Amino acid sequence: MPVKWVLYWQPNQGTTVSTQILNEATQCVESINGVKEGRWKATLNYYKPMLRDQSNHPDLPRDFLGISLADQPSKYYFVIRSQRIVVEADASIQLIMEKLQSYKSKVSLYFDGFQYQLGDFRVRVGRVVPVHSESVRGIVMEVEYLPISSMEKSRKVMEEFVEIWHEALSKRSLSGKFVNIELNFGEFGLADTYTPQHTGVQYAIVMAHMIATVQPARG
Amino acid sequence: MECVVQGIIETQHVEALEILLQGLCGVQRERLRVHELTLKSLPNLGSVSSEVRLLCDLDQAEPTWTVKHVGGAMRGAGADQLSVMVRAMIESRVSKNALRMFYSLGYKLDHELLKVGFAFHFQRTAHISVSVSSVSKMPKIHAIDEAVPVTPGMQIVDVTAPATPENYSEVAAAVSSFCEFLAPLVHLSKPFISMGVVPTAAAAAASLMSDGGGTTL
Repeated sequence: MPVKWVLYWQPNQGTTVSTQILNEATQCVESINGVKEGRWKATLNYYKPMLRDQSNHPDLPRDFLGISLADQPSKYYFVIRSQRIVVEADASIQLIMEKLQSYKSKVSLYFDGFQYQLGDFRVRVGRVVPVHSESVRGIVMEVEYLPISSMEKSRKVMEEFVEIWHEALSKRSLSGKFVNIELNFGEFGLADTYTPQHTGVQYAIVMAHMIATVQPARG
Repeated sequence: MECVVQGIIETQHVEALEILLQGLCGVQRERLRVHELTLKSLPNLGSVSSEVRLLCDLDQAEPTWTVKHVGGAMRGAGADQLSVMVRAMIESRVSKNALRMFYSLGYKLDHELLKVGFAFHFQRTAHISVSVSSVSKMPKIHAIDEAVPVTPGMQIVDVTAPATPENYSEVAAAVSSFCEFLAPLVHLSKPFISMGVVPTAAAAAASLMSDGGGTTL
């Protein structure tokens, strides 16, 4: 599977994120000859433990989430960031979680936007929106380098792409930038060869950063 | 959802059963070596306590894992008339650290078993799976190599077939019909309603063994 980096929009201090950023980003991709391939969508669910006695709080994770990825429709990915756990499962695992009734999805987010082909790269840019809301929570961007599956071997070319991207976007004078978070995938038991589990971990980390640093705004 | 029946057979007759199954199913038998871990939720977790099974297929070069949730059996007059149990069942393949994930989520190991034997998977109106296995328990946690049989000299026969709310009657009928062929060697009935061993199994087994399954029982 090709290596993928997941970046998120970090607005400058004092500014918020909006759909306008997404529009500028997609226009920027098109301005550097990105060929639109269509829409893409992913879903992320935050789970909360259901406790019979609310006054008794066992030591359970507060960062348990599940992700459905656009390019893996039959799979589902669980991440517990604090425990450095990522699990890949068939999509039917969601039915099992519903039957167990021990955890319920309390917050769900959509990632949706457009997908582009840019030479050997595939780029997706999308907004992050809570389900049943119009409030844009953030902007994410996936950059995939199609010829290579090795994280290490692709590092240089990915860094160069991101640099070119930053340069192209800087001409639009936007109040912020796309950020790539350096991750130690080894802590999650993941190897150098890229897998969808790597994507799951990236989304979990991106969301953690986004929640901590990005103020929501109406789209 | 699945249709399921179970039975027990003396180990000495398992070879005859295998010959019979080989003739009936028309497919190659598969080895079965599964480590089954049953996890239960912590006392305060969930609106009701919950249980989930993790199955590790040890027969592969790289063990593969499945999560399985078995729900309640169908009840009522319709269900009572069926000779098979129809119950909710959902399975999902998972990556190898699913056990660690469930431990983190507040599930504890309730018990674990090792099932070793063989299985046949074939199509006969429904997709039917028949497994014959010796079930062992572990004296120490995860000590597969030290497993001891729960019922020495006896093995469990499981017949299952996936079903849906729309087709479970047909699937149940297919399973029942197939089980009749196994009746000379093993009584198959709804789980938890044991019919014991077949008293004439020895004669049936001898007949099968003497001509390699050519005899019609």
